[in-house]
Amino acid sequence: MWRELWTLAARAARGSCRLCTRQSSGAPAFGSGATIFALSSGQGRCGIAVIRTSGPASSHALQSLTAPRDLPPARSASLRLLSDPHTGEPLDRALVLWFPGPQSFTGEDCVEFHVHGGPAVVSGVLQALGSVPGLRPAEAGEFTRRAFAHGKLSLTEVEGLADLIHAETEAQRRQALRQLDGELGQLCHSWAETLTKALAHVEAYIDFGEDDNLEEGVLEQADSQVQGLVVSLDAHLRDARRGQRLRSGAHVVVTGPPNAGKSSLVNLLSQKPVSIVSPEPGTTRDVLEIPVDLAGFPALLSDTAGLREGVGPVEQEGVRRARERLEQADLILAVLDASDLASPSSCSFLDTVVALLGAQSQRLLLVLNKSDLLPSAGLGPGPNLPPHLLLSCLTREGLDGLLEALKKELAVVCGDPSTGPPLLTRARHRHHLQGCLDALGHYKQTRDLALAAEALRIARRHLTHLTGGGGTEEVLDIIFRDFCVGK
Amino acid sequence: MFSFRRCGHRVAISLTKQYLPFAGLSRDSAAPCSPHFDVVVVGGGHAGTEAAAAAARCGSRTLLLTHRVDTIGQMSCNPSFGGIGKGHLMREVDALDGLCSRICDQSGVHYKVLNRRKGPAVWGLRAQIDRKLYKQNMQKEILNTPLLTVREGAVEDLILAEPEPEHTGKCRVSGVVLVDGSTVYAESVILTTGTFLRGMIVIGLEMHPAGRLGDQPSMGLAQTLERLGFVVGRLKTGTPPRIAKETINFSILNKQTPDNPSIPFSFVNETVWIKPEDQLPCYLTHTNPRVDKIVLENLHLNSHVKETTRGPRYCPSIESKVLRFPNRVHQVWLEPEGMDSDLIYPQGLSVTLPAELQEKMIMCIRGLENAKMTQPGYGVQYDYLDPRQITPSLETHLVQRLFFAGQINGTTGYEEAAAQGVIAGINASLRVSRKPPFIVSRTEGYIGVLIDDLTTLGTCEPYRMFTSRVEFRLSLRPDNADSRLTFRGYKEAGCVSQQRYERASWMKSSLEEGISVLKSIEFSSSKWKKLIPQASISTARSLPVRALDVLKYEEVDMELLAKAVPESLKKYTKCRELAERLKIEATYESVVIHQLQEIKEVQRDEALQLPKDLDYLTIRDVSLSHEVREKLHFSRPQTIGAASRIPGVTPAAIINLLRFVKTTQQRQGAMNKLPQTDEYLRDTDKLQEREL
Repeated sequence: MWRELWTLAARAARGSCRLCTRQSSGAPAFGSGATIFALSSGQGRCGIAVIRTSGPASSHALQSLTAPRDLPPARSASLRLLSDPHTGEPLDRALVLWFPGPQSFTGEDCVEFHVHGGPAVVSGVLQALGSVPGLRPAEAGEFTRRAFAHGKLSLTEVEGLADLIHAETEAQRRQALRQLDGELGQLCHSWAETLTKALAHVEAYIDFGEDDNLEEGVLEQADSQVQGLVVSLDAHLRDARRGQRLRSGAHVVVTGPPNAGKSSLVNLLSQKPVSIVSPEPGTTRDVLEIPVDLAGFPALLSDTAGLREGVGPVEQEGVRRARERLEQADLILAVLDASDLASPSSCSFLDTVVALLGAQSQRLLLVLNKSDLLPSAGLGPGPNLPPHLLLSCLTREGLDGLLEALKKELAVVCGDPSTGPPLLTRARHRHHLQGCLDALGHYKQTRDLALAAEALRIARRHLTHLTGGGGTEEVLDIIFRDFCVGK
Repeated sequence: MFSFRRCGHRVAISLTKQYLPFAGLSRDSAAPCSPHFDVVVVGGGHAGTEAAAAAARCGSRTLLLTHRVDTIGQMSCNPSFGGIGKGHLMREVDALDGLCSRICDQSGVHYKVLNRRKGPAVWGLRAQIDRKLYKQNMQKEILNTPLLTVREGAVEDLILAEPEPEHTGKCRVSGVVLVDGSTVYAESVILTTGTFLRGMIVIGLEMHPAGRLGDQPSMGLAQTLERLGFVVGRLKTGTPPRIAKETINFSILNKQTPDNPSIPFSFVNETVWIKPEDQLPCYLTHTNPRVDKIVLENLHLNSHVKETTRGPRYCPSIESKVLRFPNRVHQVWLEPEGMDSDLIYPQGLSVTLPAELQEKMIMCIRGLENAKMTQPGYGVQYDYLDPRQITPSLETHLVQRLFFAGQINGTTGYEEAAAQGVIAGINASLRVSRKPPFIVSRTEGYIGVLIDDLTTLGTCEPYRMFTSRVEFRLSLRPDNADSRLTFRGYKEAGCVSQQRYERASWMKSSLEEGISVLKSIEFSSSKWKKLIPQASISTARSLPVRALDVLKYEEVDMELLAKAVPESLKKYTKCRELAERLKIEATYESVVIHQLQEIKEVQRDEALQLPKDLDYLTIRDVSLSHEVREKLHFSRPQTIGAASRIPGVTPAAIINLLRFVKTTQQRQGAMNKLPQTDEYLRDTDKLQEREL
């Protein structure tokens, strides 16, 4: 009976059980490491999307999706019908490539699926891969690390890739933030909290139950907490509603002090009057989202409330939401009134928001709007400004320059596979929630408390992959907070 | 002179020649009477004795320096060894042929395995120990260890020399200076000074300098270490009063009798010295609101409790229990101090009130109404050195060939001290013979978890071992410590006797053989049910069931199984330990196979070594934040695995560090070093292959 649980364990990524900083993971079911998969082509207008796997179960994954066919010849493209291994439902007719290790990108067995780029197909293939035993979504930078471990990268390549990984990690973090925003995020955090507490109490019972007087019923309490979690997770996973629809595309957020012309810029870029524009500061109070095509890239443009303090509660909430959006943005358009750069609101925006985002290496374009109000075109707005673009939303002067700059930035953002469609994040999400639920099921089946605790540890690792955290110290803190233990 | 370039930003000291009798100078000028040893161990506590004995076992001429020979092996706090997590450490110390487990088995007066019903992975071997016997037996062992010399003397200073260029560190230790001014030269020095560094004993409002009740603290040494630039912190701990046995009314208290049979601590012992029927009982009593009242009304007389120095959360004084968990009743275990001791140790009553109030408090407790206190409880405050300043071999980053072990590193407990002692002793010796260090990974043992936690995360309270700190708890069990560590100890460190090695080898091959036999026996579930009617074997599956799977049922043991299939299994029941271990292996079989995969992934990161001389503060072309640089600079992680466990070190930073791994790999490739053998895993690999 335990055999099954430990294949589940295989799907839980390791590492976060101690410290959240660890990134590589996975106890695999076969061979020497877990098999990972990821979408490795960027989003944007592409006809073909490439999905890649690496690890010993790659060949198994390929065969599962192309059953009952044999492996194609190594390193040559073959056309195969992909279907879901469980339902048998056809997914796509795709080119598949089989790279047996060590002659592959990572040095491990690798498979590439070149599928038709539509979101439904990509999502279907990713989900099918996630259901193959021994496979799990890759963590940020994991392909690279494997390549390095197998001596497939030169020193210079590693140097260059470090920056890519940084971007990849950041993009995944932002993606996860978007996903965890709102109700679902609160749910996940409350699950993780309950689970950590249950685990802490079981651990306390193991480490201190014998000698110290823990209160009666510690285990029973943990049992009922786990039972509650099982019910709640199960209900969530079976809920057909998918919550808010997550839109594909680069998240571009327009920000700035009140009345700088953010809404005008949004209207200009989306070529329709999406936002109400008025000369009154604080007109926009909520976040408005518009899917647009920006310089050929799919983007989700967000208009936000002007950042200022000390206004009414509704606008304050708008400001809070605006700041939250900035955290999640792939690219930020910071808008200032070119004719009003000396005003306190402009200065404070530059000193705090722009400087801070710059320090966090967020992608940002500084746009000085209302250039038509400047005394003369030759005169710059000020000597001490960071790199910026001049624009007049009214006369459209400077629009070409802005689109050019946007194109450059978006090419980088969209070329990065990890900013990929939210369905990738969603696949990860379901993978870990299901893993958590399965492990909890095993908690109840065992009488050996050490084994039971291990099931809870695995379940917690799955959840903390979504919420972060998960160190041993957290558990110890709860133990010493809740119990008077020790001699 | 040598350069201080790498001495770090915290080091603002000026070492002058006064403190640095350089090797070149002092060797020449050293009088012929100045003795020279391979390894000098300072301190005769639990870390010191293990360190000295381990170094000697590894073949080093070793000197143990202690204030008083008659306090060697003193158990200065509780009269017991082992427990949950701690018992695991003792098994591992024993697997490396350490002393404490064997000495305990000669001196135990009440054996009890904790967590009996919670699964063998978390069993806690524990025993009450006769203090006098333990001390006697330990002294006999230490004074009769070949290559080990014992001398009385207080160390006041270190002799420093120029560093070896091929290692990091700003200088090298080459000996010690004693209080009387005499010197002893050494290739390696291990400091195991416990609570003696600026030790301060506190009872009520009185404070006086002492390392332990009645012993002088080490002040000069503390100053030397601070001058060298070690970051020093302060911790506190405490111990309960002692009570005269004949003044306790045991008849009204709950009695706890020892296990029968006793489970020995040491792998080499079949039985323990004092028979279960001759062992002593423990008694349980509880505090009550009157105790709380005395504590709360006298907080103003209790400077130890008011201090801000961090004390252990899990070994709290009665004062902190009352303060943090008011209106509760707390347990007090009355433990014997020895066969012919007339003292009782009230476990759970650690207190620093003025002595007369302690006595008053004791007399409020049931069974202790007429109790006489023979020695008051007291608090100890002492210096410890931030353990992020040492490597996993326990050598300091700052001073080459200087090792720290035990409470000086911020741990608490005899077992934690002993575990570090063994590792320091082995490594001090290996360093002398220029062999690679002996490092236990956190995938291999509790010792590894302990040392990795200390060296990568540091600690701000006295660190104690818990099983909850251990990721691979189901694989790192008390029963299999020998198969995890004995072979490595024998081959890599040379600290394991031939006899123990052979015993472990026999056990290992018997286990492997037994497991493969158990796998080969297959019957239908209905046949098993007929053979073993006592077991609730599920007949739902039609597939044949292996004997190994039947053994997984809680109610089945080897005895029962051998009755069902005597011809092939009888022989495995002859040795009690073997039969029990087969049962445990069966229980965790499938789990362990999968944990092994995780272990391999961790080990892959541990194999990626960072250059030891990397200057994190100045390396260019690497986007590391200042915060990350500071952290890496201070802890100096030796591998990518260790670096990734430091909080705040991001995945991107790790990728950035990977490029430096190459440098080390290239260097090592040039040196054509052999990889470390990892017997335990390698052999388990074989097991798996066979299975597949």
